[in-house]
Formats: sequence, C-alpha cells, structure tokens
Amino acid sequence: MTTLTQAVRSSSTAGEKPARAKRVRLESRRALPAFYWMVWPAVIAFALFHTLPVLVGIFFSFTNYAGYGEWNFVGFSNYVNLFRDDRVLAAYGFSFLFAIVATILTNVISLAIALGLHAKIKARNFWRGVYFVPYVLSILVIGYVFQFFFSNSLPKILSGIPLFADNILTSPDWAWTAIVVLAVWQACAFAIIIYLSGLQTIPAELYEAASLDGASAWRQFRSITFPLIGAFFTINVVLSLKGYLQVFDQIVALTNGGPGTSTESVTLLIFRGGFSGGEFAYQTANAVIFFIVITVVSLFQFRVLQRREADF
Amino acid sequence: MTDQPIRPAREHRRRARRRRTLAVAASAALGALLLAGCSAPGDGRVQLDFFQFKGEALEDFEQVIADFEAENPDIDVVQNQVADADTIIRTLLVKDKAPDVITLNANGNFGRLAQAGVFYDFSDEPVLQTINPAVQEILADLGNAEGEVNGLGYVNNANGVIYNREIFEEQGLEVPETWDEFIAVCDALRDAGIVPFYGTLADSWTGLPSFNALGAYPAQGDFFEQMREEGEDVGPDSEVSFQQDFAEAMDQQYELFSYTQEGYRGKTYDDGNAAFANGEVAMLMQGIWAINPVKEINPDIDAAIFPYPATDDPDDRLLVSGVDVVVTMGENTPHREEALRFIDYLFEQDVIEQFAASQNMVPSVEGAQLSDDPAIQSVAPWFDEGRITGFIDHQIPPSIPLAAIDQEFLFTGDADAALATLDREWAKVAARTIPVTGE
Repeated sequence: MTTLTQAVRSSSTAGEKPARAKRVRLESRRALPAFYWMVWPAVIAFALFHTLPVLVGIFFSFTNYAGYGEWNFVGFSNYVNLFRDDRVLAAYGFSFLFAIVATILTNVISLAIALGLHAKIKARNFWRGVYFVPYVLSILVIGYVFQFFFSNSLPKILSGIPLFADNILTSPDWAWTAIVVLAVWQACAFAIIIYLSGLQTIPAELYEAASLDGASAWRQFRSITFPLIGAFFTINVVLSLKGYLQVFDQIVALTNGGPGTSTESVTLLIFRGGFSGGEFAYQTANAVIFFIVITVVSLFQFRVLQRREADF
Repeated sequence: MTDQPIRPAREHRRRARRRRTLAVAASAALGALLLAGCSAPGDGRVQLDFFQFKGEALEDFEQVIADFEAENPDIDVVQNQVADADTIIRTLLVKDKAPDVITLNANGNFGRLAQAGVFYDFSDEPVLQTINPAVQEILADLGNAEGEVNGLGYVNNANGVIYNREIFEEQGLEVPETWDEFIAVCDALRDAGIVPFYGTLADSWTGLPSFNALGAYPAQGDFFEQMREEGEDVGPDSEVSFQQDFAEAMDQQYELFSYTQEGYRGKTYDDGNAAFANGEVAMLMQGIWAINPVKEINPDIDAAIFPYPATDDPDDRLLVSGVDVVVTMGENTPHREEALRFIDYLFEQDVIEQFAASQNMVPSVEGAQLSDDPAIQSVAPWFDEGRITGFIDHQIPPSIPLAAIDQEFLFTGDADAALATLDREWAKVAARTIPVTGE
C-alpha cells in the first residue's frame, strides 16, 4: 500500500503536483453543503431561543426593570444586594444540601439496582421495565401522589412517630427529606439505565479470569466493575448534581417552598421573586449568578472525576 | 481550471439569497395586510374594549352586555376575559393600548397602577356619588394619582369568621363582640365536644385571612405610610415596625389556631370547606368567598359571618373587606362618552344587585338590595355603617413571602422570629428597590 502510493507519487510530474495539492486542501476545507444544512437550523434555533434570551436576561440584570414599564441602569447594585439577602443565601444552602444528599443516594441506590438487574435473575426484562416506570410518569403526577402519601397515608401508618403523624411536609427541619425521597425515587430510573449500559460494556472474560484467580465478589466489583464503568459514573454524578441543583417541580408538588421558606430552592426563589414578587431584574441577577455557579461546579466535577476513570 | 467547481455553488447561493429576500418581503407584506384587516371597523357601531379579569363572572357580564347593547344599539361591547389580568393590563398600558373599560381586582397592583396616573379621573362623574364612601376609602388607601379618584368599587367581599348558626343556637351561644367573649365561645364549644375551628395550613395562604383581620387593628391610622417612609430603617427600634406593633395580633392568631382540630397542619382549604359544610366544626377562619364552595357540598347549611372581635370595646370592631371588582377606564380612551355610558349602566341599581347576588358579593352602590343569603345579610350592617377596612396584605410588597412566614409562625409559635423576619424583609426590599427616575 505504502509502496504503491510512493510509486504513484514518484511517477507524476513536478508540474502537476502543486495543482493537485491545492485541490486537496480546498476539498478538506469545505465540507459537503448538506452538513451545513443539518447544522444551521439547530444553531439558529439555539441562538434565537436560548442564547439571545440569556444575553437579554444578563442585560436586564443591570437595570431595575420590574418586568414592565420604564427602567434605568443600576450598575452592579442588584448583585451587591443579592449577597446581602439572607433569603437568597438560605436558598443556595438548601439547594446544595439537597443536591449533594440526593446525588449520593441516587448513585448508590441505582448502582446497586443496576447490578441486580444486570445479574442473571428471573424475568430480568420485566424487572428492568418496572424500574423504568418512574421515569415515564410526569413528575407533577408523582408529586401529588407522594403529597397525598405524606400528608394522609403516612400519618395513619406511622401514627406512633410524631414526625410522621404530624405530616413530615409541615416540619421546617425535615420537610426536605421528603423531597429527597421523591426526587431520588424518580431519578433512579434513568441512572439505572445508564449504569446498565455501562455494565454491558465490561467484557465477561475479565470476570472469568478474576474468578480463576480466586477474587471475591466484592473484590471483583472494586477492581473490575467500578473502575470500568467510571465514565458512566462521571456522567451520572454530574447530571444528577446539575439536575438536583435546579430542583423545582418536586418542591412545587410537595411543599411549594414551605413551611415558611425552609424548602425554597434557588430556582423556586427566582421564579417566585421574579414573577409574583415583581422583582424581575433582581432575580435575573440571581439567575446569572446561579448559572455561573452550576457551570463551575460541573466543570470541577468533570475534572476531578475524569482523572480517576480507567481506560481499557 | 481549479476554480471551476466552486463557481456554480456561489452562483447558486446568490440566487438563493435573492429568493429568500423576496420571500421575506412577501410574507411581511401579507402580515401587514392581515393586521390592517383586523382593525377595520365593522358597521359604524362604536366598539368598546371591555377588559374583564374574573373568570367566574364571564357569564354574568355576558348577560349585562347583552342587555346594555339592546338599550344602546350604537355601542358594541366586546368582553375580553383574561387570565393573569395583572400582568396583561401592565403590558397593555406599556404599549399604550389601554382598554376602554377595565375591571380589576383591587389589590396592591391596582394601587400602584392608579398612582402612576394611567386611569381616568372619576372625581367629577355623578356615578361616584352613588357609591358607599367607605368602599372608596379602601380604594384610596391602595393609591390614586395625586388628587384624583381612579377607580369605582363595584362589589366587595368580606373577611370574617364564618360560623354555623345551627351549632351556635344548639349550644346557646351568641356572636362574640369582644376578644374575651370570642375565647369564651371557643372554650364552650370545645367543652361541648365540638371542634371550634378547622385549620387548613397545608395551604399556606389560609393563614392570611385571619392575619389580615387581626392585623387590621394595629394597622389603623397611617401605620403603612410610616413604614414606607422608614423604608430600610424598619427594625425593632424604629418608630413603627411589625415588631413594635403586631405582637398582640400575632398572639391572638396563634391563640385561635390552638382551637383547631388535630392534624390542622396537613389539611387543605378544600378539606376545611368540606368539614364545615358537614357540620364537623363550628367556625372557619375564611371569608365570604368560601360560602359558595361550602354550599356546593351542603346547600342547606345555615352559615353567617361575624368580624374578628380583636378588641375589648364592641364599638371598635371592624370588618375587613376588599374591593373584589373595581371598575375604571383608560385615561385617554377615544370613546370616553360611550365608555361612561356603559359604566353608568353597570352601576344601575338592578344591574349591580343582580350581579352581586350571583357572585355572592356585597354591592357598593348605596341603597342596593343585598341577596337574602344569611352570610351576605350578616355583614350588611357593617357596610351600611361604614365600619369596614381594607386587607393589609395589599400594603405589603409582594416580594415578601408573607403567607409562608405566617404559616411557619403558626407551626412554630415563635412570634418574635416571624415579626423580625417581616421587618428584615421589609427593610431589604426597601433598600434594593431603586425607583425609576424620569426619562
């Protein structure tokens, strides 16, 4: 093959050479127009419906716009006031506490379930289907079912425990755990799918070899399974944390931010303060900060987690 | 030779661009034509744009309009019933497209719009003289443009204690007129094995009716005006503040909630209406708006309303009432004369009587007959004597989560913390609200 190319090259005259080289460069610079036609609609739609509104939002975060009427530029005062607002800081505290706890629980539980669903159990496809159902259901529908469960069923079932008998959703200190239960229950379905597909990429020979060497099941998990699904673990952790930081529907369905403002997430605060509270510009500034925070957290996670992924 | 394959492509693109320009121009022209078609007048009748916010009043207003058009064949009233009216009216006003006749709920937003001077001044209109001055006083508290009257109260609600008259009669209880009598009634009911109130705190807003009623007493005078003047200085040591003035009202509210049923934290507004309708409890801390849903469950219930007697002197009692529907019009409507004719018709005695009865509200026109519903009849004297006052939550900026703070207070019982939070939120909102300066 190499020799053939060589032969063709050496046989060609010196005069033709630059012309052919030029043409090759031209072709490589221009992709087929069909590719552009595939890309442009998406780019235009994205810019029009996502990037442009974001830029407009950032612009208004430097004004005192109320969502209607006149406005002036106010410089950075919205941002300065954000850091002085204890309600905003409390919302960030709640969002992070909730996101970290829910991310850990989601990944531990769904990895365990995925291992079970990957094993040679009876009616495996049936069980896989069952565990996927929560993902198909609408979060608001599930939310209202859980709300009924927490406020009506659980107080009767666990009437001996004051926390549950009193409806856990009305406890300022513990209502967030109920939201974690709902969120994890629903999010596990999708995380399980990702872990299952990860488990299927591991060659069976590795386990064969390991069992010949006499490795225990735990050792096999620690040294083969977990390192080899590292990329899937990274994706799951990053996606869960990002999703949980933006938690909204689950809260609306269960507590609506209450009791008091004890389960008010950043997104709920932005929505409420910006629309019903009439502080559009102020909460837009909050949204800009939140966008930066989520980006930084996600990038940081990728760097840390990718470093410990195994290649094979 | 080498450039050959490129040229057709360029040629093609240039042609495509020309074609695209043509298409854009054509569609723009078509759009302009369509828009022009929309605004063309129909048959010489004056078209009045009637902005209407209340979904449940759609059919009543349809009837009113049909009757009005029969009497005034030269006017065509188009009812435009909108959801989320507060937002839409703002966008219309910003775009200088104020509707001819406007109905709104008289809340804090209405006051702010009126202060901005976007509504007509009714000071010299004869229809103003027919309206109960106490109702107009509530609107004035919300705000008017300097020296003007920008809204006409149409129908009012009443925020008091709903009570089951049958239970009160069986127990030989009278309507309480002082705070001590009120507590005595609650104790008597509890001793008789009847739950006095049904608490529905799973819906956080259901704490607000009693907060508004009890808080109305310390808010009399110019409390909120002073609060606005103090702005970011509001705190425990300022001249007026929630911590200074509202401690007693909060204690009273907490005391009332101690007479609610077991599990009051987890029940909803609908649960409460059902329980009251079925005679499980004697009273509800709700307003006249709860009467209709209660009657849907039990049409035969004998329910009436009394104001929260948060004082020692029966003569100091006040009924909290909000203007449920306020009628106004755009400042510069081109159809002023026709719009005023329609407004005059709305306030004609039999028209407003019928509307108020159907909506279970109190008409604002003096001398108008009230429906014979016992709940309406029980609050009528307060309107006749002018002993009514507005909702205080209309005076509190909407960015303060009042319902949530009050709900948390009713759970924890920590009045100091709740009042401190209210003051802090007030100061923060005042500090970060930068008023728009001219142009």
